[in-house]
Amino acid sequence: MKMAEKKAFDEAELESLFAAARNTGPQPGADLIARILVDADSQIAAPVAPVADRKGLVAAVLATIGGWPAAAGLATAAVTGLTIGLVTPDTLDTLSGGYLASASGVYQLEDLLPSYGDLLGEG
Amino acid sequence: MPLDALKDVSDDALLVAYGNGDADAARALTLRLTPRVLSVATRMLGDRAEAEDVTQEAMLRLWKMAPDWRQGQAKVSTWLYRVTANLCTDRLRRARGVGLDTVPEPEDDTPGAETGLQQAARAHALEQALQHLPERQRQAVVLRHIEGLSNPEIAEIMDMSVKAVESLTARGKKALAALLAGRREELGYEDG
Repeated sequence: MKMAEKKAFDEAELESLFAAARNTGPQPGADLIARILVDADSQIAAPVAPVADRKGLVAAVLATIGGWPAAAGLATAAVTGLTIGLVTPDTLDTLSGGYLASASGVYQLEDLLPSYGDLLGEG
Repeated sequence: MPLDALKDVSDDALLVAYGNGDADAARALTLRLTPRVLSVATRMLGDRAEAEDVTQEAMLRLWKMAPDWRQGQAKVSTWLYRVTANLCTDRLRRARGVGLDTVPEPEDDTPGAETGLQQAARAHALEQALQHLPERQRQAVVLRHIEGLSNPEIAEIMDMSVKAVESLTARGKKALAALLAGRREELGYEDG
């Protein structure tokens, strides 16, 4: 490129060069566009399934406690608790040494407050 | 959905839609952003094939980033220009020592003075001269004077102060004016 004693471009002339570059800029061909769209398709997120937005309260609770296995465990515990409460099996009484039976059948007031017996005797 | 329906939708919203699985948004973004990326890459690299590779890579990074994009966090085009600039810089560094010496000199059969041809000749001459500028000057001049970005946006893309951008573009233009001085007549400017 010649760098002879020539007048340098002024601001307006340079701007006309930039304008020429803007008007004749490279345009992407169909092949490049196609390659980019193939990439876009390969990276696209899986659409969110509509049912996922309509989960009910049960699903929300299940998700919170850990799914169906947790729900099954919870149900078993509830039924067991109800059974113990209603039936009070003998085996449970044995295991707990009778402490879970009604207080009136096991302890008298003197057992818990010995001086109460003396008071009765004096009376 | 017809693409016309998306012409008023912002880049930002389209990117979020693509991140949520909308393929039409990807088409609209591709048609909108690819010419800009290709323009910068071509002028930075001076090589169409390399520029196309960079354009595809920059757009691929956009697709990968889409699911994490938060609407309003930044301008999509600024992010993309920045990625493009970095990709170009990487390529230029790998090819350093080859580029400047192999930039073709103007051909003898440069188109004549007819208006359309003169425009093409001027653009061609400018692009050749751009390849002789230091990389950062070239980048700043292309973004400011060809892509028409603001100095603050260029500062963000190039990770420098606005003052530094102003200085780079001023020096770049001065260098271009000197580089092209010998071709005034050929490009249809009065000489002297």
